[in-house]
Amino acid sequence: MSDSRALDALLDTIIPPSADGRLPGAGAAGLAAYIDDVARNAPELTPVLELGLAALDARAGGRGAEDFASLDPDARAEVLEGLSPEQPAFLPLLSFHVYAGYYQDPQVARALGTRSAPFPDGYEVEPNDLSLLDPVRERAPLYRDV
Amino acid sequence: MPDEPVDVLIVGAGAAGAAFAWSLADTRMKIVCLEQGDWMSPADYPSTRSDWELRRFGDYGLSPNSRGRSEDYPVNDSESPIAVSNFNAVGGSTILYAAHFPRFRPGDFRVRTLDGVADDWPISYADLEPYYDENAQMMGVAGLAGDPAYPPKEVPLPPVALGRLGHTLARGFNKLGWHWWPSDSAIATVPHNGRAACVNLGPCLTGCAQGAKASTDVTYWPAAIRRGVELRTRCRVREITVNAQGMADGVVYYDAEGGECRQRAEIVVLACNGVGTPRVLLNSTSAQFPDGLANRSGGVGRNLMFHPYAMVTGQFPEPLEGYKGPQGCCIMSQEFYETDASRGFVRGYSFEITRGNGPVSTALQGLGTGDIPWGAGHHEGFDKSFDRTAGMVVICEDLPEPDNRVTIDPELVDSDGIPAPKVTYALSENSLKMLDHAVERGAEVLRAAGATETSAISPLPPAGWHLMGTARMGRDPEASVVNEWGRSHDVKNLFVIDGSLFVTAAAVNPTNTIQALALYVADAIKSNLANLFD
Ligand SMILES: Cc1cc2nc3c(=O)[nH]c(=O)nc-3n(C[C@H](O)[C@H](O)[C@H](O)COP(=O)(O)OP(=O)(O)OC[C@H]3O[C@@H](n4cnc5c(N)ncnc54)[C@H](O)[C@@H]3O)c2cc1C
Ligand code: SF4
Repeated sequence: MSDSRALDALLDTIIPPSADGRLPGAGAAGLAAYIDDVARNAPELTPVLELGLAALDARAGGRGAEDFASLDPDARAEVLEGLSPEQPAFLPLLSFHVYAGYYQDPQVARALGTRSAPFPDGYEVEPNDLSLLDPVRERAPLYRDV
Repeated sequence: MPDEPVDVLIVGAGAAGAAFAWSLADTRMKIVCLEQGDWMSPADYPSTRSDWELRRFGDYGLSPNSRGRSEDYPVNDSESPIAVSNFNAVGGSTILYAAHFPRFRPGDFRVRTLDGVADDWPISYADLEPYYDENAQMMGVAGLAGDPAYPPKEVPLPPVALGRLGHTLARGFNKLGWHWWPSDSAIATVPHNGRAACVNLGPCLTGCAQGAKASTDVTYWPAAIRRGVELRTRCRVREITVNAQGMADGVVYYDAEGGECRQRAEIVVLACNGVGTPRVLLNSTSAQFPDGLANRSGGVGRNLMFHPYAMVTGQFPEPLEGYKGPQGCCIMSQEFYETDASRGFVRGYSFEITRGNGPVSTALQGLGTGDIPWGAGHHEGFDKSFDRTAGMVVICEDLPEPDNRVTIDPELVDSDGIPAPKVTYALSENSLKMLDHAVERGAEVLRAAGATETSAISPLPPAGWHLMGTARMGRDPEASVVNEWGRSHDVKNLFVIDGSLFVTAAAVNPTNTIQALALYVADAIKSNLANLFD
């Protein structure tokens, strides 16, 4: 993607950092590289993204800002929201890939307590409490004998 | 000598073909299995990579129509509310299966006697019991003895981890006084027969990289091959051929390069599953069998049963650690298994508790529903959803109906040009009433367990993964395709050993019973060798 500053700003607008600082914004998490990868394998994505980014800059310019990235987060969200009627495919398409990429990211997974790739480490699970079965064990057979 | 016949030719290397090949191999007969798929490489399974959740929508998808793998064949399921799901490889659909591994209950073989519907099986629970036991050892079944829903049975390995999610749901069942039990699971919870123990990765439905889940490529096949069975992969059978006496004399198949080959055989055994098997039979037409092989009864392809499924999901206020532990195997309930006339339907259903979604699936689902928006509310939306959902699938007993069937599609073909199957299926009144009942009871138990909201999908459209009934067994050649030990009534050296045999479907997953049947047929062949074709 040509303008990485614009893309990072856009990514942080879609998934901003969490208020408690636990999770990074999608831009800060480096999702631009993932989106570039996706676009390489799905070339039809590139024009949609480029048109969208250009329109965001133009709209930011209309508000007197230098470009989209120079707006504050609230203004970015407003500008992005305003783009939807004109380019309805842009945000849903991009969001799909941003969500998918963000939640695969190892640092995001670490913050959530999950593993980006479950194999080979897997998970510890709390030990089974089979005393919960006591009332079931007391029941008469449930099956019909034939 | 290329044209030399083999003693036994098995078509299909899935759950049934593997068990059968292993068992019959101790006869030292020359056994060859032809499989259209290939060996899988567990080191490449999705769970070894960060994009594992997305691959369920790609090359590990449920439907052969969208998966894009060359070894798949298409299935026209446009006339069915339930789509067919399978996998084509060494191990067959067990590569994808959840490994829920219940047995049928004794009454499941006596549905007509007990409830006046469908038909009784020509064999009983007692006939299959030794084979269930043998299969439990070979596949490695984890669970807990003492379940009051079953006669006493052997369960070799300790149960799967219930986890916080399982414990939470179990308390809900207890509150209502309903039956539940740790699920019988074909998962090595401790090391078993050289397989490593389950490490609770979660995504069992895209292949188990750990080798803990009992797909037959890691259970029966290595043992069968050690016993001398030859497994030929990338061989796709077009049809079974017959000689002048009307006996099967081999098959015509296409190899990996698409070359047409012939393999002659003394005995032909079909293990292509409840859709693949009738497809081969119906494609095997000749002057003697113009309506398809072994089809003088007209029953081949008829009485197709899926289990109508529903999914009921609840939102919980607390994290449930639902992404830890085998996705499909946790606890189950058979509280509503037997007929109760007051409910307005015959027979019944099981609940199987499933675990939660991973982060990517959660996020994408929330994007679709709007519950996880972009922008300022994103993390709040995600936190509310992720790891706070638990649910269950409902498995309803499907009753056999002749008009629910597999036929040959007049146009659709696979990559070798072999005509593809078409599925025509409608849900019965009985199934619809049962689904409604189950969805209500499911929501009730989720609320008892602490869910604040519940939702349901009923029927569950992609759930055509249990394929049964399309070459049923029976004593009456007019009303069944094969006899009580799997041999075709019409062609005395042709056997069926997969879910096509089922007379009725029960309300549990079928694979344990499919394999018990395959082992039972193998033993019947061994004990009848002297007069096998009489
Ligand atoms: C997503 C999913 C989840 C499931 N979960 C469970 C579960 O939890 N518990 C359970 O009991 N069951 C489950 N099942 C069902 C289970 O996988 C099947 O019941 C079982 O694998 C059927 O065994 P089979 O041998 O009859 O057929 P399969 O395992 O489907 O094997 C048939 C084999 O035959 C081959 N074949 C077909 N036609 C030809 C041909 N013309 N030439 C050559 N080869 C051919 C196929 O490639 C395939 O490998 C699940 C299935 C799926 C898809
Ligand atoms: S949870 Fe266990 S059985 Fe399932 S994939 Fe992981 S290791 Fe395999």
